[in-house]
Amino acid sequence: MRRPEGTTSYLRATLHGMALTFRHLVRPHKVTLQYPEERPQLAPRWRGTHRMAVHADGRPKCVACGLCPTICPSNCIRLVPGEDDQGNRYPVVFEIDEFRCVFCGMCQEVCPVEAIHMGQDYENAEYTRERFIYDLDRLMAQDHPVTALWDPDDPASQ
Amino acid sequence: MANPKEARDSAGPAPAGAATAAPPPPADTVSCTIDGVPVTVPKGTRIIEAAEIAGVGISHYCYHPGLSAPAMCRQCLVEVQGMPKLQPACVTTVADGQVVLTESDRSRAARESNLEFYLLNHPLDCPICDKAGECKLQDFTHAEGRSHGRSVEPKRVLNQDDFGGAVLYEGDRCILCTRCVRFMREVAGNDALCVVQRGHRSVIDTFFEQGLEGDLWASNIVDICPVGALLSKDFLHKARVWDLDKEPSICPNCSQGCNITIETRDNLVARLRPRANSDVNSYWMCDVGRYGYDWFNRGNVPTGTLGNADTIGGGPNPTGRVEQPMVRDRTGRLRAASWQEAVRALVERLTALRGRGGVALVSPMFANEDAGLAARLLEVLGGGERLYRSEMAAEEVVCPGFPRLARRRELAANGRGLSAMGFRRVGDDSGAGALDALDVTGKLLLVLGDDLADSGESFGAGAGLFVYLGAFPGAAERNADFILPVTYFSEQEGTFTNLEGRVQRFWPALEPPPLARPAWQVLGVVLAGLEDAPAPASAASAFLRLGQLHDAFGGLSYDQLGARGALLNDPVRLAADSRR
Repeated sequence: MRRPEGTTSYLRATLHGMALTFRHLVRPHKVTLQYPEERPQLAPRWRGTHRMAVHADGRPKCVACGLCPTICPSNCIRLVPGEDDQGNRYPVVFEIDEFRCVFCGMCQEVCPVEAIHMGQDYENAEYTRERFIYDLDRLMAQDHPVTALWDPDDPASQ
Repeated sequence: MANPKEARDSAGPAPAGAATAAPPPPADTVSCTIDGVPVTVPKGTRIIEAAEIAGVGISHYCYHPGLSAPAMCRQCLVEVQGMPKLQPACVTTVADGQVVLTESDRSRAARESNLEFYLLNHPLDCPICDKAGECKLQDFTHAEGRSHGRSVEPKRVLNQDDFGGAVLYEGDRCILCTRCVRFMREVAGNDALCVVQRGHRSVIDTFFEQGLEGDLWASNIVDICPVGALLSKDFLHKARVWDLDKEPSICPNCSQGCNITIETRDNLVARLRPRANSDVNSYWMCDVGRYGYDWFNRGNVPTGTLGNADTIGGGPNPTGRVEQPMVRDRTGRLRAASWQEAVRALVERLTALRGRGGVALVSPMFANEDAGLAARLLEVLGGGERLYRSEMAAEEVVCPGFPRLARRRELAANGRGLSAMGFRRVGDDSGAGALDALDVTGKLLLVLGDDLADSGESFGAGAGLFVYLGAFPGAAERNADFILPVTYFSEQEGTFTNLEGRVQRFWPALEPPPLARPAWQVLGVVLAGLEDAPAPASAASAFLRLGQLHDAFGGLSYDQLGARGALLNDPVRLAADSRR
């Protein structure tokens, strides 16, 4: 590339850059949060670990239809259907391996009874790997807010 | 899409199309056009069957090829040019020069509104319905129905009804096609079901307290129900049908040789369903065969899979399956060995026994290929007795509507095949006895598959060599010199010969334990060490070997058997069959 020799100086660009630096010194643009005192504002569609919706009498809403293990792209849901004492189909075993999960949210989208939800929770640290396989009791005990499937202000995602 | 199973079905020397194209149509056929496809069929053929031949699918509920057609579901209405009203394709016979339009606006509109009527009272509980995925109402509505129903009336609600036996009835889902009623009347010969009430209150019901309990054929109504109204108690909530792996096979629970599909999930059998074969079982199978699958699962404990042994396949599996070849060493202890070691040692011991002969006791639950090579091994050693033991039922139960089908007295899958290879049935009707009378002193005792449950403490102790091929060591552990793990019929490819003498193929449906091998493979390798014959590399070549050894199997090959099977000693009939 040909540069116009002798007609430009680095001085102007340097001053420009230094001005920006000093501006940030006196009026900082903060990106670091003072976690855990400060918490981030999550988007309505932000997806974290799952939560199972529960009926008023404490039973899971899940009817063990098998659509979430079918749609799950990472094959992280293990489901064994059975029949409860009232003759209703329910999950005898419902486990989600949160390590395998890719948090795509398709299980929530496919669920015909709105039982399984993605949740707005990110504090998932555990001491053992086994603890990351969430069973039905644990999924029902989760009480964090659930993810919205779409943004109510922008339903068509535009 | 290339489907290997379809390729198997059409396997045969002459493709079906070639035979129909060549000769000019005889006088008793008619030609018509269905959706622009010209088709020539015998006189009296119904439009729905002619359409099948023409490759045009006509949706239907009440019509079933194995039953009479009442033309009451109105789903198969098609336009026939020149006729003022739409015609039900399941009862209208084809006429010469007829032009049938299944995709005209009138036919389409009729189907769409028909489906809307069916959904007026249908609960749409597909997520919890066992039929979802193979439901005709679901399929056709998805293909041609309205996306939303317009009915604002409340739906009819009925309770679940226990029909007795293995069948449950969900009245809400029922579309009153009456296939089940007609099956019980026409095929099972037991008028146990009827439609009660009228109009939208109609339901299928049994007579008072008299249900389907004790009917040998009743579970077929679960298969033919086009929706999820009739449910199998055995399969209830067990698996979603799209999760099942399906493999064609032969029912081993009696010598009728019903064609079945083994449907498995996570290497456990979830259910058996009949496969159509007009020469053997039509579209049906008996309940004893249908629910007698627990023993296929023996030893296959799922580890680290999605399966749960307590709910899928019925009950926890007994363990103790032979995991690897066992050889008795000089100190008299059974020791695990590699296949190479075991076969080498076995060939050495067999060579020493040459000329002394022996006894072969083969379970009739094993394939023709397995038994044939066991017989050959005995022959190479100098001959001797070929025996099998099998269970016999007290009586034969014939299917009233299809007399060729029966629950046979001989309860072993392959008794006829063994007889054709010179095996003799010994023991009593419970499949026991006759072991103590065997004289094997100084000779080879070859046991294939028989569990020897009633054998004495010293059974086989005096034998020159006691070789046991099976899945469970059982009683053989006491005295056998070699215990070699072999696969079940459900884990390997092979053939059974049914009572009629029909040789039929089956395919592997389950994954065997890692070191188990088909018996024909083990025996083939051992034979290769004893005589100048290469070990068969596949079940197909083992079967060809069988044809060289036994005249009854001569002229048959896997390609000729296809998916329908062929009779022993009958290559002429075979050629005609494969062209049908």
